[in-house]
Amino acid sequence: MENTPKISLENVTYRYSIGTPFEKAALRDVTLGFEGGIITGLMGHTGSGKSTIAQLLNGLLKPTEGCVKIDGKDIWEDPKKIGAVRFRVGLVFQYPEYQLFEESVERDIAYGPRNMGLDEEEIRRRVIDAARFTGISPEIFAKSPFELSGGQKRRVAIAGVMAMDPEILVLDEPAAGLDPKGRAEILGGIRAYQREKKNTIIIISHSMEDMAMYADKLMVLDHGRVSRYGDAHEVFAHAEELKSVGLSRPQITKFIMELQKAGVPVEGGIYSVEDAYNEVLRVFAEKKKGGAVNAP
Amino acid sequence: MKENIIQAKNLCFSYKNEDGAPLPVIKNLTFDIERGSFVSILGHNGSGKSTLAKLLNLVLTPDSGELTVGGIDVMREDLSEEDIYNLRRRIGMVFQNPDNQLVATIVEEDIAFGPENLGIEPEEIRRRVDDALAAVNMSEFARHSPHQLSGGQKQRVAIAGIIAMLPDCIIFDESTAMLDPIGRAEVMDTIEGLNRERGITVLHITHYMDEAVRADRVMVVDHGEILLDGTPEAVFSHVEQLKAAGLDVPQVTALTHRLKTEAGFDLPETLLHSADAVEALKALYDQIGG
Repeated sequence: MENTPKISLENVTYRYSIGTPFEKAALRDVTLGFEGGIITGLMGHTGSGKSTIAQLLNGLLKPTEGCVKIDGKDIWEDPKKIGAVRFRVGLVFQYPEYQLFEESVERDIAYGPRNMGLDEEEIRRRVIDAARFTGISPEIFAKSPFELSGGQKRRVAIAGVMAMDPEILVLDEPAAGLDPKGRAEILGGIRAYQREKKNTIIIISHSMEDMAMYADKLMVLDHGRVSRYGDAHEVFAHAEELKSVGLSRPQITKFIMELQKAGVPVEGGIYSVEDAYNEVLRVFAEKKKGGAVNAP
Repeated sequence: MKENIIQAKNLCFSYKNEDGAPLPVIKNLTFDIERGSFVSILGHNGSGKSTLAKLLNLVLTPDSGELTVGGIDVMREDLSEEDIYNLRRRIGMVFQNPDNQLVATIVEEDIAFGPENLGIEPEEIRRRVDDALAAVNMSEFARHSPHQLSGGQKQRVAIAGIIAMLPDCIIFDESTAMLDPIGRAEVMDTIEGLNRERGITVLHITHYMDEAVRADRVMVVDHGEILLDGTPEAVFSHVEQLKAAGLDVPQVTALTHRLKTEAGFDLPETLLHSADAVEALKALYDQIGG
């Protein structure tokens, strides 16, 4: 990356259970950076260190060695001020719906902004804003979060972090366990939010299909190292490598490659049904046209 | 001979809201599950599929209707606690979040927890634990602590814990939702192996259409009712109906369906697998101009 990243890890090593027989390095000498103002999809197999990275980025975990920088400045420079970093970097954990606790939806979303010491009017504005992006109807503001379905609780939890308006928002598998429509709504809402706020978003995901559609750049991790970085086109071009790090290309991408192998001259690098549809129509039309010209 | 491990007739279940008013979740469901079959259950979040799973495992009791599990009428007034425990052993359940399912501090002890509670002999427990670990490809982690494992590894341990109880049927309630694609594939292979090789009846609740395709039968639950029920080919031919229910079809199926309905391609009704779709499209392509 040529530009200074918005947030970065520099030579970070993180060990769990230091001083016990279970001491284990989750990350070893990792250096990576996330560009500002875009959505980056952070992908890697289970155990590749993605969730550890998420917690390092907002200062929940402190690197054993190395440093985490925002705008080039070490967030642990003054450890007493790490609390302020957590307002700048919002973190939505996996399955955040288990973390709701307030008596109403509105109060739950307002919890973060209220802790930031904002006035009531601003809190109210942010709650409404965050609810809009996550598809929460103001009609359910007064309800107890525990009356909601799992999918609705997820939205409330995400809204609660969005309402803090962080410069950087890290979401760990925000769509895990949701049905296809729910996935599209949550990820679409996050994208709309990013496009309006122009902030920096990092989405941790296993789903190549989802990230091809919603992220601007993809970063593939393998054992805590960046094995690929680029847009979907660049990353999906390296099929074998993705397979070796526990990821797989979308079914449609594989299908197009198989079709090509079978002798239908479609171009590779397709990762959505829409693109595949257009590509198939294109080669069929081409052959029809060519066929007419060559006909005796 | 065909035998049904589960028979449900006019099954109803409601939760109560704060004011005590019933919120119907399962509405008049009637279906059978054949012993040894592999059934996928699809439905959007809130469609009632997890509630259904809890009813089948007797975690919840139906409000009305008939329900027979493993030949035992679970609606019987005089159902003893022993009957219930016995049924729960035979109908194992693996949930979505493995963190809520592991109880011991060492992987192999966690897997032994079920058989130990059933009063199984120590040697037999040892054999079952080793077998279960091998079945989920976690043998090398036998002495690890669950908190050191990743989500996917924990989930495989949870599955092993059920396998060690030698159940007749396992209900997987979105058990693959947290895994990466390779982890998912491993768990799916495990599930398929348990069904095909050990004859365990599998009910697999999932949001992944590519997983549902691997079952013998797909049931789609919507608003507490059965919307579609049949072979994967039959169910996934209803593209629009599935989309309206918040679901989807495999990408290859979506593509070929669109080519057929919008561009008039002469393709079969439903293509679920890449290889079949490649063959069909290649044949059409070769016909052009020839």
